Parts: sequence; structure tokens; C-alpha cells
Amino acid sequence: MTWDSFLYFSMGSLLLWGISDISAYISREKITPLIFRAGGLILFGLFIAGLWISLERPPLRTMGETRLWYSFFLPLAGLLTYMRWDYKWILPFTTLLSAVFIIINIANPDIHNKALMPALQSPWFAPHVIIYMFSYALLGAVTLVAIYYLVKGEKLKNTSKIMIMADNMVYAGIACVTLGMLMGALWAKEAWGHYWSWDPKETWAAATWLGYLIYIHYRLKKRSSNKTSMIILIIAFILLQICWYGVNYLPSAQQSIHTYT
Amino acid sequence: MNNSSRKIWENPWGYPEGFIVAAGVVLTGILLQATTGKLNPDLYAYPVNVFVGALFVIGLLTIYFIFNKSRSVRWFSTVYSTLPAIVVLLVLCIILGFIPQFPITAEESQLPLDFFSSLGWYQMTTSWSFVLCCFYLLIILGFTTLYRTTRRQSWRDIGFYLNHLGLFIALLGGVLGSSDLVRLTMTVSKGNTEWRGTTHKGEIVEMPLAIQLDSFIIEEYEPKLVVIDNETGRILPEARPESYMYEGIGKKTQLAGISLEVTDYLPYAAVFRDSVHSNIVPMKMDGSTAALKVKATHEGITQPVEGWISNGSYLFPHSILQIDENRSLAMPPQEVKKYSSHITLYTEEGKTEKAVIEVNKPLSVNNWMIYQYSYDDSKGKYSDTSVFELVYDPWLKIVYIGIVMLLSGAIFLFVAGPETNNLKIEKIAEIESDKIKK
Ligand code: HEM
Repeated sequence: MTWDSFLYFSMGSLLLWGISDISAYISREKITPLIFRAGGLILFGLFIAGLWISLERPPLRTMGETRLWYSFFLPLAGLLTYMRWDYKWILPFTTLLSAVFIIINIANPDIHNKALMPALQSPWFAPHVIIYMFSYALLGAVTLVAIYYLVKGEKLKNTSKIMIMADNMVYAGIACVTLGMLMGALWAKEAWGHYWSWDPKETWAAATWLGYLIYIHYRLKKRSSNKTSMIILIIAFILLQICWYGVNYLPSAQQSIHTYT
Repeated sequence: MNNSSRKIWENPWGYPEGFIVAAGVVLTGILLQATTGKLNPDLYAYPVNVFVGALFVIGLLTIYFIFNKSRSVRWFSTVYSTLPAIVVLLVLCIILGFIPQFPITAEESQLPLDFFSSLGWYQMTTSWSFVLCCFYLLIILGFTTLYRTTRRQSWRDIGFYLNHLGLFIALLGGVLGSSDLVRLTMTVSKGNTEWRGTTHKGEIVEMPLAIQLDSFIIEEYEPKLVVIDNETGRILPEARPESYMYEGIGKKTQLAGISLEVTDYLPYAAVFRDSVHSNIVPMKMDGSTAALKVKATHEGITQPVEGWISNGSYLFPHSILQIDENRSLAMPPQEVKKYSSHITLYTEEGKTEKAVIEVNKPLSVNNWMIYQYSYDDSKGKYSDTSVFELVYDPWLKIVYIGIVMLLSGAIFLFVAGPETNNLKIEKIAEIESDKIKK
């Protein structure tokens, strides 16, 4: 399987996810949307597996390859949220966001080759990046919740249920961020000699982590404002974006290579 | 208990006091930076850091047990002090992420002279404000954890202790241990034994161990072909450069609009040039280069072009194959797949050990870790020297205890979720409606 087949697989998946979204609004049972979502995920998963095999390395090296995982995990996060909390709108929103990343990948494909630099050849590589991508998807989904909440504002009925849903998603998300970050630290010790060197990427990972810690602790007080909580979520997600790809454009990142030598 | 009718500094303290105290911590740091100059980590190396750490922990415990009835001490174990402390640390992290950082070894004169340098923020992680913030967070973490033991314990507290005590241990170990960290490089050439390391400042240090380099091996990926513009040398198509990695003789492919067929492959070749053209012959020796023979066709040309392409080595120049006026086929240097040093290690106690060191596979001896660091670039895969990095970090075990606790705490959080899950939904609705009434 090569990158050339991405168009067919991704369009097939998007179609299945779209059907799943529509069926969630039409059908009373959750089983129909579940089946179509799962079908799309399997199809997309097959492409990732095929790419992995043909590249003879985990497809996690380039920015486009991380986008690939993101567009896989978002619909999954949407599905899990829907199954647990019954909010239908999370389905089309995650599909839409996933489609954005798929389109970026089609319009602006990466150079995929088999070469993997020695530092990346580690058993930590795949779990570290995959768990991070999963957390990004989950936290992306909860950002949609935050935006939804802030836009709807007063008109929302069951706000406490939405807040509890957001809490659950953030707890799972920050758990994965913590796991990904610490796995990265253990790996860095093995590859570069130190577990934390405040390289720009690491700094922004720490900032992201602190952002979600603020949310968790703020929410512990029952009298905390829901609106402020949602705004914290959006700020934290901006930090996450900087960590994911924004660092490449920062002046401080020019030094990144020096700190790694 | 309505917070708004309360004057500032009047009990119970809330977020405003939290932000004032946290800002005060940063301000103290800035003042210290201005008066005492930059924090020199060497001054806090062993045994000073052990002393500081012990004093800190004993101090926390003492204050806690003497004053645990005091409302101010109690306040240090609430969200009202926690949140501003994390916010302030986050702000410092963001600044750290935006402004370029300089190594601790950098001289004063190498730093830009502006507002940030007087705050010490070009070396943020060793600035007074950053370090004090970390300690302030540690104080809160310590009090929170201690205070938590006084309430009735439930299974949820396991997660709390794993996360908070874990972070306390990892952070304290990391902050105090950073001044004991030693990183040296050691360059060894094949057949020789070396026991001297070089610090980042260029000082030579004698080590309690010696490394003999028995052999050094580099494995490379298969060679790649690219089409380049004759004039600019850029890889085509310029918008999205393509490359083709060798897959076998007789394989055909399309590259930047040109059809290629690989007709021969020499992993070890020598290039001889006479006045007219260059000859490529198989020859296995130090300095031989990889070469691919390729037949290229493209629209508008009836006669295919065929010839050798190689990426050269320190001994031979590279060879390209011209397709037409504008384009040529070329072979970029091969990417390194793996490099490994086969060594014999001698320790002070007279132990001898054979080992292989690779990237991601360091060797650990006593408190030292030996890493494959680099090699002689100019000779590429024929390098006969290997560069190692030797790292000494006696605090690593403490930090790892903290990291493992945090990892377990994260798994706990993932499984258990927020505490409100255990509350009845009606109870939460009640709180919500209270909020609306207010
Ligand atoms: C950065 C330093 C931290 C400080 C100063 C801090 C402080 C606190 C405080 C004061 C509480 C309220 C305790 C209580 O009401 O008994 C709390 C609760 C909590 N913290 Fe932290 N915390 C920190 C880091 C973390 C981390 C790293 C995590 C997890 C990733 C975390 C997760 C939690 C959770 C889940 C609770 C609620 C505990 C429960 O009731 O089960 N905190 N923290």
C-alpha cells in the first residue's frame, strides 16, 4: 500500500462516517451509527496498517503522518463520546474536523520514504506518538464541546451534564498527555542522555500539560464558572497546537538543534 | 460564605491572594537576579543540594506539624493557592518557549543585552524566578499531600497520592539533581583506548573507566535517485521534491516525469576518470562508493539515456547522469540506518567487559551511562573514530520513582475519571441551579 491509495481509503471512510452521522439523527438505535463509524475506522485503520507495512517503519515520522493518525482518532473520540454521553452533534463535528486534516494531507502530501533516523528507532517511538495523537484527538473533541457551549451560551438546558462530559474527556485526555510526555522523557534519556532538556518542543509540551492541569484544578471548586472553564479549555488547546506544529515557526526553535546535539 | 464581601487578606484567602503571593514569588526571583546575579548551578552541586533537599523536606514537615491549625498554612493546600501558582509557572513556560535560550555555559557577553537578560530569562530554567516558582509549587504540593492524609481515606486517594507525591518527588529530584549532572564526550579511534573525557567547556577530565574501540560499523539505507535542475541544482519537481529508493535491478519507476529503469547496481565501486568520461568498476575498499546504472526515457526523446550515477565518497567525486539540457539524475548521500561501536570497557576496579553501543542503546556502568554520540562525518561510513557521550546523573533513580508514580497516576485518572462521576446527577443539578440563582 502506498500513499497513492490514500484518496480512495480516506474518501471511503469519510463516506461511512457521514452515513453514521446522518443515521444518528434518523435512527433511534445507537447501533446503526456505531456500525458505520466502526466500518469507516476499520477502513482507515487498514490504510494505516498497509502504509506501516510498506514503509517498513511506523508511519509517525512526518507531520503528514501524524495528521493521518489524528484524522483516525478524532472520529473514534467522537464515537466514544457519543456512545457514553448521547450527544449526537459530536459525531458530525469530529467527522468535519477529521475531513479538514484529510484534505490537508491530500492537498499537501508529505514525502514518504523508508528512512528512519537512528534516534527514532526505538520501542518508545510508536507508543509515544500514538498516545499523544489519541490525546490530541480527545482534547480536540472537548474543544469542540467548549466552543459549542460558549456559542450556545444561555440557551443550553442541561449544562451540568455537559460539564461532567467535558471533565471526563479532559481527565482521559490529560492522562494520555501525561503518559505520552513521560514516555517521551524515558525515551529521551535513552536516546539523548537526559530525560528533560527544555527543548522548545518539550517546553510547549509542559505548557500544554499545565494548561489542562489548570482546568482540572479550577473545576474542583463547585462554584467555579462554567464559562471560564470552557475558555481555559480553548487556551489549553491553543498551547497544544503550538506544541504540535507551531514550534516549527517560532524563533526559539531555531535553537532546537543546538540543545539536541 | 460569599467571597465578594470579603476584604483582601481577610480570611479565608481566595484567588486574589493566590495571584499576589505567586507574583510575589516571581518578583523576589527578579530582585534576587538583579542583586546576586545569575544562579550558578556549580554552587549547588553535591553535597549542597542534598543538604538543601533535606532542609526543605524537614522544614515542610515541621511547619506543617506545628502550624497545621493555622489558616494560612491550610490555605497552601487549597486550589486557591494552587491555581495561581500553576498559572504563573505556565506564563514562565510560555516565555521560555518564545524567547531563544542560551546554554548555561554561555558567557554574559554572548547574551543579548535587553530587558530579558537582566531578568535572567535567556537562561530561564536556571533563573531565580523560575527556580523559586518550582519551589513554591513544591511547597504547595507538599502541604496538599500532607493535609490530604488527615481526611478519611478512600480508594480515590491512591490516584491523588500517585499524582501529587509523584510530581513532588520527580520535580524535587530533577531540580536538585540538575547541578550534579555531568556530560562529557569522548572520542576514540579504532584500536585505541581512551580514558579522558572532554567537558562542554573543553576541559579534559580523567574518567574512572576506559573505552577501547574494537570496531565501528555504519549501516546505510539503499541509495536514492533524484532528478535535479542543471542550473540551480534543486531537486525536482520543486514544489514537491520526489525521490526513488533503490529496490532491485530491473525495477522501473517514474520520477519527476521521467521513466527510469535500474539496470545495474554496485554497492562498492571505484570511479576512474580519464580525459573523456568516467569509468565505474566494482571495487571493495575503504572509500568506495555506491553506484546505480540507470536507463532514462521521457517524452520527446527517442533515444533513451543510460549511464552510471554515484554519490561519491571522501575518495571519489560523485557522478550525475545528464538527461537533457535542463535536467540530470543524481544520487544524494545515503541516509544512515544504524551505527554501532563494538567496544571493550575497562573499569577502575579492574573489570573488563565487551559491549556494543548504539543510538538508543546506551551502556550503563556504575552511575555512568555511555551513549553513541557521533562519528567522523568527513569519512562517512568509513569513519574509524567514534564519539561517545558519558552522562553521570546520581539523582536519576529518585526522578524515576516520581515518573513511575506519575505514570501510574495517569492510568488511574484514565480509568477512574473525575470525582463527580460518583455524585448523584441530582446533586450536581442542585449545585448548578444554585449557581444560576447567584
Ligand atoms: C502542579 C502541582 C499540583 C498542585 C499544586 C496540585 C494541587 C492540588 C490541590 C490543592 C488539590 C485539591 C486537593 C483536595 O481538595 O484535597 C488537587 C486535587 C487534584 N489534583 Fe492536583 N496538584 C498538582 C498537580 C496535579 C497533577 C500532576 C495531577 C494529575 C495529572 C493532578 C490531579 C489532581 C486531581 C485529579 C485532583 C482531584 C483529586 C481527587 O479529589 O480525587 N494534580 N491538586
